[in-house]
Amino acid sequence: MTHISTRTFIQGALTASLLFGAQASALPTDKLVIEAGRIITQAGDDIENGVIVIENGRIAAIGAADEVERPWDAKVIGGTDFVASPGFVEALSSSGMDRPNENLDVTPFLDVRDSVDPVNFYFEDCKRWGITTINIQQGNNTVVAGRGRIVKPYGMTVEEMTLRPAFGFKISVAPKSGKSRATQLQTLRRTFADFKRELEGLAGDAKDDAAKGHREALSQGREEEDSDAAGRAMTGDGWTVDGMELVNRDDIDSKELPLLDMVEGRAHTFIYCGAPMDVAPAIAFAKANGLAANATLVLDDTCWKAADVIAASGMSVILDSNLVSIETDPVTEVETETFVPGVFAAKGVPFALASANSSTNSLWFQAALCVAHGMSREDALASVTSSPAQILGMGKELGTLEVGKLANVLLMTGDPLDMTSFVDQMVVEGSVIYDSKTDVRNKHLFEGVAPRGAAAVETEEVEEPSKTDDK
Amino acid sequence: MLLPILLALTPVLTTDSAAPEAAPVKLLFSADAVYTAAGDFLEGGTIAVAGGKIAAVVPGGESGEGGLHVAAITPGFVELSPRIHAGDLSVEESNEVSPGERAVDSIDLFDKRWQRLLQSGVTTALVGPANEDCIGGLASVIKTGGEMRLDARLVKDESVLMGTFGTQASRGNHAVYGRPTDFFSRRPTTRMATEWVQRKALYDTLAAMGDESRQFAGWDALASVLEGKRPYMVQASATQDIRTAIYLKEEFGLPALIIDAAAEAWKEPDLVVRSGAAIVLPPFPSQGRTAIDNGFLAWNTGKQLVDLGVPVALSSHGAAGAADNLGMQAGYAMRGGMTLDEALLAVTLTPARLAGVADRVGSIEVGKDADLVLWSGTPFAATSRVIGVVLDGELVINE
Repeated sequence: MTHISTRTFIQGALTASLLFGAQASALPTDKLVIEAGRIITQAGDDIENGVIVIENGRIAAIGAADEVERPWDAKVIGGTDFVASPGFVEALSSSGMDRPNENLDVTPFLDVRDSVDPVNFYFEDCKRWGITTINIQQGNNTVVAGRGRIVKPYGMTVEEMTLRPAFGFKISVAPKSGKSRATQLQTLRRTFADFKRELEGLAGDAKDDAAKGHREALSQGREEEDSDAAGRAMTGDGWTVDGMELVNRDDIDSKELPLLDMVEGRAHTFIYCGAPMDVAPAIAFAKANGLAANATLVLDDTCWKAADVIAASGMSVILDSNLVSIETDPVTEVETETFVPGVFAAKGVPFALASANSSTNSLWFQAALCVAHGMSREDALASVTSSPAQILGMGKELGTLEVGKLANVLLMTGDPLDMTSFVDQMVVEGSVIYDSKTDVRNKHLFEGVAPRGAAAVETEEVEEPSKTDDK
Repeated sequence: MLLPILLALTPVLTTDSAAPEAAPVKLLFSADAVYTAAGDFLEGGTIAVAGGKIAAVVPGGESGEGGLHVAAITPGFVELSPRIHAGDLSVEESNEVSPGERAVDSIDLFDKRWQRLLQSGVTTALVGPANEDCIGGLASVIKTGGEMRLDARLVKDESVLMGTFGTQASRGNHAVYGRPTDFFSRRPTTRMATEWVQRKALYDTLAAMGDESRQFAGWDALASVLEGKRPYMVQASATQDIRTAIYLKEEFGLPALIIDAAAEAWKEPDLVVRSGAAIVLPPFPSQGRTAIDNGFLAWNTGKQLVDLGVPVALSSHGAAGAADNLGMQAGYAMRGGMTLDEALLAVTLTPARLAGVADRVGSIEVGKDADLVLWSGTPFAATSRVIGVVLDGELVINE
């Protein structure tokens, strides 16, 4: 029997309790009740004086305070002074990463997992401004970028932050630095054409091998072996390669294998358009290579001009953080302003807003600007909650406050679009991950921290010449 | 429909109006809420305009009675730090002390930033030199729209003398090694020498005031500041620069000091109160630090100083975009704790008083210029927008 010294045991227990003690507040509380004077569900009417019951990270019940039964053992937060709303969803961001782009053109084998920095200030800001979900993709300075990831702004490791790993790819139709539009598109097309040729080569070889095996079996008078190693037939809306069922997918170059996910329609792509002229080639490229059904266009603020083309394609869009596009007449220098979200709303194109992540351009503010430009409050809030959730394929999990959805709830001090409202507490999957009372940096930004010795009167100390020091 | 309202206005016109007796009522603007910045808030009000001036302000006013009806009306904004100048061409480069230079002499009225500023609701702006010289020159108050002639836009000429503390005044200067190579081989090259140049200029002015032989170019502009005939407006962002400016004010007994871009004034509330200086705040930064000398501006600074009785004006530094224009700065000041009334004053009447033009602009009062901002909703809310601007009685922006 092994002997464990008491000291070691106590040390171990202490370490364990310290570790788990530090995390305890963030682990999903089994049951949580949120009370609010008003609940903005984004799924029907607001609930006055309502209650949200959360169990195991999901919304178990939601309704008026006198109608919802609360578990007796649940922790209760909030109160009638607060407004509850769904957490905001950042449809696309390259923030919080080490550096957003690799300098190679085509890098589908990369993964932003290796670049996301959990202690980046960006994620702290997300909590402050009510963003509970972020789709992190590589930057726009690329041709075909690596895999993205949907995260929540909480956790000490990327894995802990992750909501959906290996999600999506960024593709850019606008030229990356050092490229012209022509070479950008050429590189993009050639990447997929080369990939197709490679698959054709593999399939051709596999067919030859199969024929050879068939002949050998015939000549040796034995039964042909089943080729267990073979893959499955290729599917896709763009192009397919015959004979892929004979190819073991492990034989495909792993640096290019992610392209197969795109062509076969399994991967979501975010296609960046840096000017209206990029939109039509982007859509044509997406259709030709089978990406269209799962593609979202990421638009520069001028791309509203191509709104008709986008509407016809049926694709969703993520807008630039600059919501008012200004065009200057080159002759008269008269400036024309276009409210971009209004254009897409009028055409029925599903769109999500993007924040530039600062107090002035965060998602709540972007939604408020939409209201200032005449959009309904519900639509404006939807463009930072349910609409991005749907674009990311997580409409059943996120974006509204409904029974069964992930409990991502903001407890605000007032209306979410009001200039004087703040996030008081943020709940992500049932855990309170942010409390403004403990947000030291926010206190510093808003209230300053009086420096020591900021006294009004300066005491002048004049040095008296000292004779004893003279030598 | 105009007639009944005109009749209703007549008593007001005869008792209150001073200047535009002959001018007939030209336009009517009504709103669900009129914020006059003169102590009144009218829930439902009508403003009558005649001869470019406000002829009457009366309660009541429903939509469609012969005038324009909007959700809310505030006075046109007054911007003390528009930063629309010709850059280096608007400031004397050969000399750190050029108090006699007139910034409006290098102003470009065709610069489209004026139109953007007007669109954002700013109807009056103080035009000064670029903040590159220790004492840059005289600033004048102009309207941001109207005819493309300076004399048509001028509200008050040479109303303020402008100077600079901090690092910007010494930027570009270098010490003399051997022989001076150009006129940038000069002081100041440090914050200390910036203060020294200021003090020397003020001292020389005191001497010039008593001795004709010691007069120098622009001494009278500095003398007017020492005599309190016009305010001295200095850029000082970091706490040490604000202290320097205040010590100088106290040393020379400057009657009126305005500290521009005073981000860190919140660190020295007692000193600011003691000195009686007025404060112009730079745009609120999202991550704490402002553009000028990295001054840290806490968002409750405006509220804190207003509560202490300090005159506080907000500024946009020329930003006219939806997220950072002067109206939005007022919203941000409210996010930092100011009430709507306090924020309104900080972008209208307070800056108008500081620039010495409160007799003409800054509030909605009979006899003042008819400069109005028309709103789609509650002023300064993120969900509201400036949908119209009235300048000297003309609807110059109409969205």
